[in-house]
Amino acid sequence: MTREKKGKDVHSVTPEVVVDFLKKTIPFHQLPKDTLDKIAKEVTIDFFPEGTIIFKQQETVVEHLYIIQKGGVKIYLKDEEGMVTLKDFRGEGSYIGALPMIHGATANLNVETVEDTFCFLLPKETFLKLINEQAGFAQFYLKSFSDKFIRTAYAELRHHKVAPRTEGALYLFSVTVKDLIKREPITIQASQTVQKAAIEMARHHIGSLLVRDEQDEIIGIITDKDLRNKVVAKARPYNTAVSDVMSSPVATIDSDTICFDALLYMMRNRIHHLGLKKGKKVIGVITSHDIMVLQGSSPIYLFREIVAQNRIEDIYPLAKKIPLIVRTLIEEGAKANNITRMITILNDHILSRILFLLESKFGAPPLPYCWLLMGSEGRKEQTFKTDQDNALIFQDPENQEQGRACSEYFARFAAEAVEHLEKCGYSKCPGEIMASNPKWCQPYSSWQQTFDGWILKPEPKEILHSTIFFDFRPGYGTFDLGFRLRDHLSATIPQQEIFLFHLAKDCLEARPPLTFFRNFIVEKDGEHRNSLDIKKRGLVPFVDFARLFALKFGLKETNTVRRLEALHEQEHISKELFSETVEAYEFQMQLRFIHQLRCMEEGREPDNYIRPSDLTDIEKQTLKEAFGVINRLHSVIKETFPMI
Amino acid sequence: MLTKLFNRWKKKDPVIERNHAYFKEFNQERPLASYEFVVFDSELTGLNPKRDEIVSMGAVRIRDFRIVVSETYHQFVKPAKPLPKDSTLIHRITPEQIESAPKIEQVLKDFIEFCDGALIVGHYIDLDMAFINKVCSKQLGAPLGNPCIDTLRLAQVYREEKWGNYYDQFDYKVSFNLADLTKEYGLPEFPQHDALQDALQTAYLFLFLTKKLKQGGITTLKDLYLAGRSWRWLF
Repeated sequence: MTREKKGKDVHSVTPEVVVDFLKKTIPFHQLPKDTLDKIAKEVTIDFFPEGTIIFKQQETVVEHLYIIQKGGVKIYLKDEEGMVTLKDFRGEGSYIGALPMIHGATANLNVETVEDTFCFLLPKETFLKLINEQAGFAQFYLKSFSDKFIRTAYAELRHHKVAPRTEGALYLFSVTVKDLIKREPITIQASQTVQKAAIEMARHHIGSLLVRDEQDEIIGIITDKDLRNKVVAKARPYNTAVSDVMSSPVATIDSDTICFDALLYMMRNRIHHLGLKKGKKVIGVITSHDIMVLQGSSPIYLFREIVAQNRIEDIYPLAKKIPLIVRTLIEEGAKANNITRMITILNDHILSRILFLLESKFGAPPLPYCWLLMGSEGRKEQTFKTDQDNALIFQDPENQEQGRACSEYFARFAAEAVEHLEKCGYSKCPGEIMASNPKWCQPYSSWQQTFDGWILKPEPKEILHSTIFFDFRPGYGTFDLGFRLRDHLSATIPQQEIFLFHLAKDCLEARPPLTFFRNFIVEKDGEHRNSLDIKKRGLVPFVDFARLFALKFGLKETNTVRRLEALHEQEHISKELFSETVEAYEFQMQLRFIHQLRCMEEGREPDNYIRPSDLTDIEKQTLKEAFGVINRLHSVIKETFPMI
Repeated sequence: MLTKLFNRWKKKDPVIERNHAYFKEFNQERPLASYEFVVFDSELTGLNPKRDEIVSMGAVRIRDFRIVVSETYHQFVKPAKPLPKDSTLIHRITPEQIESAPKIEQVLKDFIEFCDGALIVGHYIDLDMAFINKVCSKQLGAPLGNPCIDTLRLAQVYREEKWGNYYDQFDYKVSFNLADLTKEYGLPEFPQHDALQDALQTAYLFLFLTKKLKQGGITTLKDLYLAGRSWRWLF
């Protein structure tokens, strides 16, 4: 065979096309360059027009690993009666034929192209050699989607999408200390007793007081630590004069100093409090803790700060620090599920603190009430940008007079709460689904009626608008009111087939965002042209699925992942479906987080529009796989609700 | 002197003899997968075979009707005349790149051997073959005997098949440019104007068109020949 020989002589070049492609394809991307070059030379390229059956179950002897360069295939099973069950779709960068070769059997499934498809064919011997010799290869081909891409894809996400950890530091360099001042400095006469000092500190929830002399000159500072170390530990009497234990003079810096220099100054002098001077006047005191919180590195700082605030206005800036904390969590490798939980806790605390302070302003409510959170807040799935979706439920009044008092009190209360929340950065719900809307501020029995109206006499259109209500959870107040409503729903809904039918139909409206495999369906015009609404197209189908099945089986969970867990525990969904769904859902959440973080760092409002062109190939592939799960969810819905 | 020249004219080189022998009794009835194809593309200094020259040649083999990416031929060629400036702009081959390259006469036999027994496929292959055959005739006493297949012609047939509409034939916007066809059919895309990349691109186009024509009804070489009826075989 002279030709054979010729082909491999000096003119034979490394097939760049193949190498470049494999470099971006899991698990080949991890192979060393020379191995990759060697493999690439074994590859041949074949073309299968749309509708070609590449493998026939129980018939085709598979001689190659087929790696899809362009196009897509469907994989299905045909039983004796000719019934076809669709098993999977595979797109660019995916493979077919691995299992039959590993098991040395004929094809176990049918594979048919659904588009014109080009494949790279890797000979069986080469493939099996890789399986035997390369760590991770066998594992990759034998494992299911759940574990397959996720790790690599997450690693890539972290690696490529989050800029190096400079943000906290950046704040240190850009913010001046005067920006940290929260209030006028609280002072105390040097001649006062330490007990009086302690009372003052407790009253203002602060850790230090400036000490002034008779001429109102600031001469020193007294801190928590002074009281502890110099008074209590030394068993000195409570009437010891402040001037005896204070530190003097008080260390001060100019209020225009940047935080970084202030922090250095404190570290160098081993002090925790600094007076800030404007001209000769001390205009405030900051602590090292204030700066650390600014850095946003630890959620616990923020958490403590929120709980300690006594004025609602002081909560606003704290709410705005949440993104900084989320960033740190992402950098440290936290998964979306943990991040949303953290955000939920912080948001809940902000809400609780605001309502608590409002209650003390308005006086005790006439009847017990419960603040309900709905939509993503109800599901504990908030990201950075959270619209307010809330409502208020109060105990049924015993008479008209009480009813009037309630309506009046809660209307004012809710209206003000909503305003404060807005100032914290939770924008108002465009659909007015807020407690400040009298329609959504009702006694228990009205609420039950409203829900019954949706459930018992369902109107398709109303269902569409009411789905977020079904994700409610108690946020503050008398939780029992919320729980009672939930109990009522989980007892009623499982029997309401028409309602569930409409809900199921609504789920199926959403099409997965792929035109087969070639491209993501992107928005065609307007501001978000060529981008993909990952919330609407990608996440909502998962949320809808979990809600539908949770309601059908009377589960009380509202969180999507928790709903899926419960469904799996009670064996309503298979283990495979469960883990695939959760992984696919969480990956998209993660992608959305990182996208929103970037938006904010570029000074834009966080949104849900992801540009497929910004994604790496592995991210794209993982996202496509994740969207592929939507098809499977839909077939489960169709099986469960056969009349659709 | 004259006799010697005449003899050389008359006598064919053994390389070209062997090349011709293979196609003397050529059976067109076998299935496509049993033939070998070499998809060929060349970069030229211009479009006139009389005046212009080849500066690079790229080719890739198709066996079992699959592209064999490791069996490729890629060769820069030093033309007799210096490289005109405007052609550099098109294929980005600079005079420096071909300075050390061999002349066409030195590599021709290698190329013919690479094509031995294979059908030659190209996009507007007549043009490339005119350049090759000019050198072949001059140096080896005869043009190549390999049958040729033009993907451009296949694309025209495919278009007619797909859009039977008569007015479509007058659509002057229709392009048969390799890059445009690649886009139109959604084929994997390669950078343009490297002879090897273009040959590979043409190979994709060839697989695509052959399997798409007649709804996949083309199984033998003869079928392909009949589908493109009006094209010329360069015997």
